[in-house]
Amino acid sequence: MSAEYGHRVVGTSPPAKDAAQKVCGSLVYPVDFELAGMLHGAILRSEHAHARILSIDASRALALPGVIGVVTHEDAPDLEWNGTFFNYRGRIFDGTARFVGDELGAVAATTAEAAREALRHIVVEYEPLPAVFDAAAAMLSGAPQVQAEGNTREPSVEAWGDLEAARSAADEVAAADVSFGSQQMCPMGRNAAIAQWSGGRVTLYTGTQTSSEVKDAIAEAFGIACSRVRVVALPLGTSFGEFWSNNFMMVACLLARKVRRPVKIELSNAECMAYVKRRHEERCRASMGATADGNITFIDVHHLFDNGGYGFKDDVGYLVLDLWGARVPAGRFECQGVSTNLVTAGCMRGVGDVTMGSVVERLADQLAERCGLDPLEFRIRNHIRPGDELRAAWGGHLLRHDKQGYERLIDEVTKAAPAELRQRWPEHFRLSSGSTVEMLRSAAEEFRWQEKFVGWGRPYYSEGPVRRAVGVGTGIHCCGEEMEGNTDATVRIMKDGSVMLFCAVGRQGTCADTTQAMIAAETLGIPFDMIEVEAGDTDACPWSRGSIASTTMFRTGFKTWAACLDARRQLLELAGREIFDCAAVDLDIRDAVIYTTEALREADEAGHEPTGGVPIPDVLMRDREDTFGPTDSITGRPDFPMPPSMAFARHFAAHFVDLEVDVETGQIRLLRYLAAQDSGTVVHPQVLEGQVIGGALLGAGFALCEQLHFDAQGRVINPTLSDYKVLRFTDFPPEAAVMFAEDPDPVGPFGARSAGEAPTAAPVPAIAQAVYNAIGVWVDVPMTPERVLLALEAQRRERSTDSGGR
Amino acid sequence: MVRLHVNGQIHELDIEPHETLAEVLRGRLGLRGVRVSCGEGECGSCTVLLDGVPATSCLMLALQAEGKEITTIEGLGDEEHLHPLQQAFIDEQGFQCGVCTPGIILSSKALLDKNPHPTAAAVAGALSGHVCRCGAYTQIVRSVLRAADEMEAADER
Repeated sequence: MSAEYGHRVVGTSPPAKDAAQKVCGSLVYPVDFELAGMLHGAILRSEHAHARILSIDASRALALPGVIGVVTHEDAPDLEWNGTFFNYRGRIFDGTARFVGDELGAVAATTAEAAREALRHIVVEYEPLPAVFDAAAAMLSGAPQVQAEGNTREPSVEAWGDLEAARSAADEVAAADVSFGSQQMCPMGRNAAIAQWSGGRVTLYTGTQTSSEVKDAIAEAFGIACSRVRVVALPLGTSFGEFWSNNFMMVACLLARKVRRPVKIELSNAECMAYVKRRHEERCRASMGATADGNITFIDVHHLFDNGGYGFKDDVGYLVLDLWGARVPAGRFECQGVSTNLVTAGCMRGVGDVTMGSVVERLADQLAERCGLDPLEFRIRNHIRPGDELRAAWGGHLLRHDKQGYERLIDEVTKAAPAELRQRWPEHFRLSSGSTVEMLRSAAEEFRWQEKFVGWGRPYYSEGPVRRAVGVGTGIHCCGEEMEGNTDATVRIMKDGSVMLFCAVGRQGTCADTTQAMIAAETLGIPFDMIEVEAGDTDACPWSRGSIASTTMFRTGFKTWAACLDARRQLLELAGREIFDCAAVDLDIRDAVIYTTEALREADEAGHEPTGGVPIPDVLMRDREDTFGPTDSITGRPDFPMPPSMAFARHFAAHFVDLEVDVETGQIRLLRYLAAQDSGTVVHPQVLEGQVIGGALLGAGFALCEQLHFDAQGRVINPTLSDYKVLRFTDFPPEAAVMFAEDPDPVGPFGARSAGEAPTAAPVPAIAQAVYNAIGVWVDVPMTPERVLLALEAQRRERSTDSGGR
Repeated sequence: MVRLHVNGQIHELDIEPHETLAEVLRGRLGLRGVRVSCGEGECGSCTVLLDGVPATSCLMLALQAEGKEITTIEGLGDEEHLHPLQQAFIDEQGFQCGVCTPGIILSSKALLDKNPHPTAAAVAGALSGHVCRCGAYTQIVRSVLRAADEMEAADER
């Protein structure tokens, strides 16, 4: 594929930049990071789900050997800080506990053991308050108020067409009411926050997907200038949305300020699972109608989710409306976030499209069955295609401008872009590229779908208690969620021709630094090995949304490309003026050597090495006539903006699963798995394959076994891997395969779009449909053996009632 | 004073009776490739080899390792001298975040020592005590199978 487009780097799979460090154990994660004179901190946590703090007496703790200092709400600034998309909103400590484990204070000591021991000697006097643990209950009048502004956020509403007319025009209507427990990110590796104040500046070293956001949040929490905050994001373990900006990072800064020494707070996995963040608990009530020949006439979704103690979101991702709603004459979507006294909830990989998506897909499947269509046919007929109108571009995501005003705004901000570029850019509020259609066709063939799908609710194999069946599910998500500007990147070509790329991307295993370096290499004509990436230091990197909302490849990649175009132009202008005596457009760079485009064309046609080239160092180290000295280095930065991704770009997944259900034990076993992905041009096939299979595993885990459980007091009761089950090597087919559809995007770098979240959404409906086909009954997630058996039992009772038997 | 044999070297250490092997290897000997994650023996990321047999170092006391040959990822190879397993994990990208990687490579080493030509299912079975939360299972199995092939080819040379 890459050769077809003439790419030299894009489409290859060089080793990840940090591959050798990862396989040798030498990569430094936050937990491995230390500063001279560093103390260790531990966090004091609430025993109650909701309580006012009357007093905190730390005198006995402070008298212990090795204990240096304590902070409580009395030390905390009276300032609120906000996380991106309101994933967090609150003060560092404010004298109220809003969930079990909420941060009340912290201790600094010479060792981590001494700090933890000191916590046991702090006496907290609580005034317990009534607590609420369920979103629906928290909406009732008289419910305990978690947040001063009230529990309910303003609903996000998206509506088009005449819903009531469309409802009555439907020949078939399906409805569902599905509740979802919380999935836990269950991070691998331990995160830590190491804070140091020096000369009025604070530096925080931590594992985060969003270093710029953490910097802004610290400035906000302490009421100091952004210039006084430096965040150094270190490589981290699995995150899936857990580590953006988190309050424990602020606590480390507060504690370090109080004791005037560097402080490190390391969190255990159990702390992360019970006290940091989780996927929301959600309830989706939806209905969908279709004509007898299988065209969807309306979609109506009412989605409720809980924000926990400090989330403040008013919607989840609902790109599924684009996937299924583009060709539908009428629809309505309402989403509402509600505060509860459970641990803070927020965006986890595939947010909304994992949960709501699986409900919409179930309704679609039920309609397809009634219309006598197979699941592929129904999807191909109804799914969005390039040029179709987008439904999810409005609502909470793109401010709340009127559409005309918004289009004017986009025209205004993008007119600085070169005309030849703008000509390629898509019409706004229509899908720019990609779809599920090609994937569904080609992957179905590869999977031998026609052979294995023997009709709705029917297994292709039945022997004793074993039923085998196949299922297909689709997924969609955004490619970053931004207005113009925001995420940025800069690049520096140094005098020897080597390159530093500065772009703040998360290093949580997605190899984003590697793929950004590939984009730089492709754009500059400089080998990948000569390019290094600074991805974590906010003193060096320009502001970036970070690696969230599938932003990285599409938006950061665009800015990396644009920064490199600028550096390349400067270099070629210099070479043209000082050496070649020609215009920059007549020059090009290959393998870090500058040639005339004519020399390159001749060489390529003749099939020999190009001649007459000048290596980059000869240009940059040459004394210039205008400055009487060498240029030394060139800095490139994007000199034109990027149009807002939500207005046109999406990425897609179509997953096929073959599984068996044991109707006696309720056990589900995955036999074969095929994941197809449309992320536009594939930049690094190995990395993308990893993202796709990793997404499939996370989604399959949610479908089959993952759920966080709370007791009656709101305490997480399974914050460990022994009680919170995740999929292991033997739970997933080791020969799982990945296929790529590559519809290049007109805006994305070299045609690439984004990758990580749609493949987390697709497995849930695929597995649910296969289970339905195996046993003839829909099972809610997580499809544990108990739930499968209960569903079979309910089916038996229903059948005996239907037949009038007694 | 306790003598620990680690990666071919002998260390004499004053060890508290309650210190885990992982704490001593990481904290006293600076072997940060011993990745501690769950701390309860469920995830396998802290796996080291004791006389060639995988053990979760977070769950055992350092004193229990006395007299055994302890191998951590640092003892298998370094960035200039990669073990064939490490090279295969690079070539197949058998990792994402890299936290579980050292432990998985060590368990794979123990498997290949016993069974130089495992099937994919045998690799998955041998590694089922490890969690890769990023979900790189497919690529990890492929990496181990590739290493088995490369090691056999090297033996024949």
